[in-house]
Amino acid sequence: MNDSQIIEVITYTFLAFLSMALVLILFFYFSRKKIIKQEIEKKNLEINYQKELLNSVIITQEEERKRIAQDLHDDISSKLNIVSLNSHMLKASDLTEVELNEITSNIIDLTAKALENSRRIAHDLLPPVLEKFGLHAGIAELALEFNSSKAVQVNYENHIDFDTVESYKQLHIFRILQELMNNSLRHGKAKEITISFISINNINTCNYSDNGLGFDINDKKNAKGLGMKNMEGRINFIQGTMKTTSEINKGTQVVFNF
Amino acid sequence: MHMRNLFLSHFYFILQFVLLSMFYYHLLKENFQKKIIVVNLVVCLSVLFIQYALDRSRFNNYNLSEIFITSLSLIIYATFHLYNLLNKKKEFYYITIGLLIYLFGSTVFFLTSNLLISLHSKFPTRMIMRLNVYLYIIYQLFILYELVTVYVIKKSIKTL
Repeated sequence: MNDSQIIEVITYTFLAFLSMALVLILFFYFSRKKIIKQEIEKKNLEINYQKELLNSVIITQEEERKRIAQDLHDDISSKLNIVSLNSHMLKASDLTEVELNEITSNIIDLTAKALENSRRIAHDLLPPVLEKFGLHAGIAELALEFNSSKAVQVNYENHIDFDTVESYKQLHIFRILQELMNNSLRHGKAKEITISFISINNINTCNYSDNGLGFDINDKKNAKGLGMKNMEGRINFIQGTMKTTSEINKGTQVVFNF
Repeated sequence: MHMRNLFLSHFYFILQFVLLSMFYYHLLKENFQKKIIVVNLVVCLSVLFIQYALDRSRFNNYNLSEIFITSLSLIIYATFHLYNLLNKKKEFYYITIGLLIYLFGSTVFFLTSNLLISLHSKFPTRMIMRLNVYLYIIYQLFILYELVTVYVIKKSIKTL
């Protein structure tokens, strides 16, 4: 063993430690970068999702306004127009008894219809039963309405006391069920719908299922629908979670809690 | 017969280097990393070949530059793999950890081996050499654990 060999050993050991330290430092540096980048991507995704939700809320709001405007224009304004025309005709001096009777009965008829329509529009916007008698009665009425259409059989059962649920949540739950039932009827052509509320470990859960056509859950087109977005938004609002399972020709099952 | 078997170490280092390079070449997904492995493999092997061609006597000692470049390359590949595994499913994680532990220890040991051999007559260096053997056993245990987990997972997938 000569001196040069000793120096060689020392040099290589020194180099080895130095390079290992360098590898470690580079590893930490790039790892940090990678993790931060992924975190940012995740946050961006979240922001985009929120934006989409907000967008869908705005679009729905506009559509709702359009629908209300149309309803008011078609069902009430037009009738009130004719009422006002008829009332002007009453001013005419040379009216026979028969004409007078006809005009007044027209007016009475049309105002009654306008009244009924305005009540219906108000009811569609917010069922008064929901306000007055709570969610249970609201859903029962909703089920009754769907049942009376004869197209679908709705089975509704409830094992939860809705009085303990905050009122703002009740409205959202009602809207979600409304949307689900509309979807089942319109897209799923379902013949039977089952809604049940139960409390599992103090978590209120709603099980919803229909025997309709179902859909492909992996199809992006279905998830991007306005109705779905809206429901997601509402679920977000009531701090719940929602799980949808469906297969073509196997109906749709939705479970959400609140 | 007392034949010096030290020349076998060169085969050991180079074989380990080539095989593990191939292992990580197949394991790593990014083209940049694959390219580094290929280029490094070619460069290292040609450097070593030239070295041995120029000076045959190197065969009878531990070749420090050989130990240094092969170990460091493998450490770099292993860190590449660990980097790729960040926030992903652990795949060949334990083999890589075992390899790193073994390489960090054994590199220093082998680099100083020439010194240890010459000191052999004065000090009981066998103890230090045994440490390296224990380290190698730990490395093998890590590989065994990896194989067991892979086998168990495969089995559970089959039964699904």
